[in-house]
Amino acid sequence: MSDIVVTGLGIISAIGNSVNENREALINGFCGISTLENFPSRFSGVLPCGEIKISTEELKQKLAATQPGVTRTDLLCLHAFRQAIEDAGLTTEEIESPDTAFINGNTVGGMCLTDELYHDANKHEQGSEYLGSYDCSSVTLSIQAQYKMQGPASTINTACSSSANAIMFGARLIQNGFAKRAIVGGVDSLAKFTLNGFNSLHILSPALCKPFDKDRQGLNLGEGAAFLILEKEEDAAGKNIHARLSGYSNTNDAYHPSSLSPAGDGPYLAMKIALESAGLLPQEIDFINTHGTGTENNDEVESKAMIRIFEIIPTFSSTKSNIGHTLGAAGAIEAVYSILNLKHQEIYPSLNFNEPQADTGLVPVREYKQVHLKHIMSNSFGFGGNCSSLIFSKV
Amino acid sequence: MFYIQESTCISSQSTFLNKINLLEYQVPEGNKFSVKEPSYEDIPEKILRRMGKAVRLGVGAAMPLIAGSGNPDGIIIGTANGGMEDCIKFLNQIIEYKEGLLTPTNFVQSTANAVAGQVGMLLKNNGYNITHVHRGHSFENAMLDAAMHLAQYPDARLLLGAVDEISAYNYNIDLLAGWYKTTAINPAEIYKSDKPGSYPGEGSAMFIVDNKKQQGSVRIDALKTITSNDPQLVRHRFHEFITLNNLQNDPPGLYLSGENGDSRMMHFYEACETQIEKVPVARFKHISGEFATASAIGLWLSAEILRSQEVPVHMWKHQQPNPMATQRHPLHKILIYNNHKALQHSFMLCSIDL
Repeated sequence: MSDIVVTGLGIISAIGNSVNENREALINGFCGISTLENFPSRFSGVLPCGEIKISTEELKQKLAATQPGVTRTDLLCLHAFRQAIEDAGLTTEEIESPDTAFINGNTVGGMCLTDELYHDANKHEQGSEYLGSYDCSSVTLSIQAQYKMQGPASTINTACSSSANAIMFGARLIQNGFAKRAIVGGVDSLAKFTLNGFNSLHILSPALCKPFDKDRQGLNLGEGAAFLILEKEEDAAGKNIHARLSGYSNTNDAYHPSSLSPAGDGPYLAMKIALESAGLLPQEIDFINTHGTGTENNDEVESKAMIRIFEIIPTFSSTKSNIGHTLGAAGAIEAVYSILNLKHQEIYPSLNFNEPQADTGLVPVREYKQVHLKHIMSNSFGFGGNCSSLIFSKV
Repeated sequence: MFYIQESTCISSQSTFLNKINLLEYQVPEGNKFSVKEPSYEDIPEKILRRMGKAVRLGVGAAMPLIAGSGNPDGIIIGTANGGMEDCIKFLNQIIEYKEGLLTPTNFVQSTANAVAGQVGMLLKNNGYNITHVHRGHSFENAMLDAAMHLAQYPDARLLLGAVDEISAYNYNIDLLAGWYKTTAINPAEIYKSDKPGSYPGEGSAMFIVDNKKQQGSVRIDALKTITSNDPQLVRHRFHEFITLNNLQNDPPGLYLSGENGDSRMMHFYEACETQIEKVPVARFKHISGEFATASAIGLWLSAEILRSQEVPVHMWKHQQPNPMATQRHPLHKILIYNNHKALQHSFMLCSIDL
């Protein structure tokens, strides 16, 4: 089991702007998914999305980030980043130290500005203020610059498992001596690009998503950001330790660019290798925060993979029923939720579930419960076959 | 850190498989170092037709390596932009069809992890699979990732590589942002420029890496990345790197500089070059062009130079090659310094036992 612990958390999602607000909403089974409001699109007022109901302008003012070129993705990232470093009590010196790594999972970058990007990319006129803000790394680089960070930094894009891999990469940097601490997580904001992309694949649900339900119709896209501070246990003495990152994995399903294999080889191997890396047996997992997108393909395959690995399926939920699928941020947001489960020894209801799938019969947890939890698994699977599982444990 | 066993490269020059000819270069047409694409015999035609250029370049460079050395234990790719040609095509569809009925092919191919994903899929490879997209440090992070993976799994063998394409997206945007010159390229002249801007390039370099020292394998000794717009800090870190790797006492036989003819970057390159005064200097951006993962081409070239013990004359920085280089001293070690957009810097040290 690894000696990497979590000493700071930061989050913003459709159900809250802080760790506490998110926890309250989860306890109360609050669903933050509603119709799109923040930007004009054919889907505005129609498609349910896990949208953060704060305009980009308002975020800029709140965060005092009004310099040119700032995107919504930058702002969500900055919001969660600030909370995390504050929660961990990192000093300016520590943040600027070459020993502090910063790893960010992201898939959309500044492409949330679809119309600006269209104009700049097609050179219709003079360049906009966003010329350096479109790629995924621009989000990471702007924080690196703002906080004068000198340590190792990367941006990871493995689609919907990006920030799970960011967490894993940060942990490995510490374990291999390339960093003493790591600020890890991810961000994505809603964008016409991803809305239309997922729509063209016919996997957006016209109604609220229903993870693991027999009548599920697809996923709802969401937006948000979450960051964790990772440190070695020996360096975290006297700090408020939220949880231990005890295992992780990264595998590939190697089947199809945008859907999972029928037997779920990638997800199965991700869960299996994460267990091995944590030195745990399947029966020691008390709870799973599933990938659970609500698509036909994911929930069926993830269920089958869970059945393959667990003799008795642990209690599980999909918090995507609260906030939608936040893509590059999902792994980190769900890591924060898993840590909340552990810290408060409680599980939150998975929403919108009525009837199990005929062939697997799996039923997610449907009410708030206080229970004894020691080890929690969090799954993230993405396009390109990228599958990752993280295991967090109580300290 | 680890050893490069085999490598491939697709670039604007003759760098692919048995067509490698580094002694001469071709002058690209116009103002871009566009790739010379091979026929991609290792990719099934049906799949090839659906691939965007970046995916073709990446998968095309990777597959012959796999054919030679078998399925790797992991696939680690660095790419700043991935399939941006597809990205812009999909974006244009969104705008032009007013978010109507769109075809998903471009969307799926546009995700940066499509190269690693496609290679994994073609090889049915369930192993470690990751894509670093940290602009000018995408490949460097992939290298670091590979080093950590090989430290944890000493017997593993990995596919490590980088790819980026010139697409409408990144070309127009970087052009508007002032990163490119628009005059026709004359490779012999590009370093003489006193004006801002470089020439865009594209390409892919793929490597099979592991921990096994073998005849002809090229060792990656050290890697360091710095993010800074301060030449003094870069100079300081370069000095630290030289000291840490004992390069004062055991200097490299060649210093490969990432100079690209952009006048705004020269003070960085000068700050570093003055610290290794007696080491002969060569350059490569006149054959690769500039792009975020061009350092991977620099590393591929270094591996070729170490194996062949021959530095192409056109790569020397000075018209008269340094006497040390002409005297047929065996070339053991190459130090590479690359700089992307005057912000993301990397030092790499690689060597060969002869």
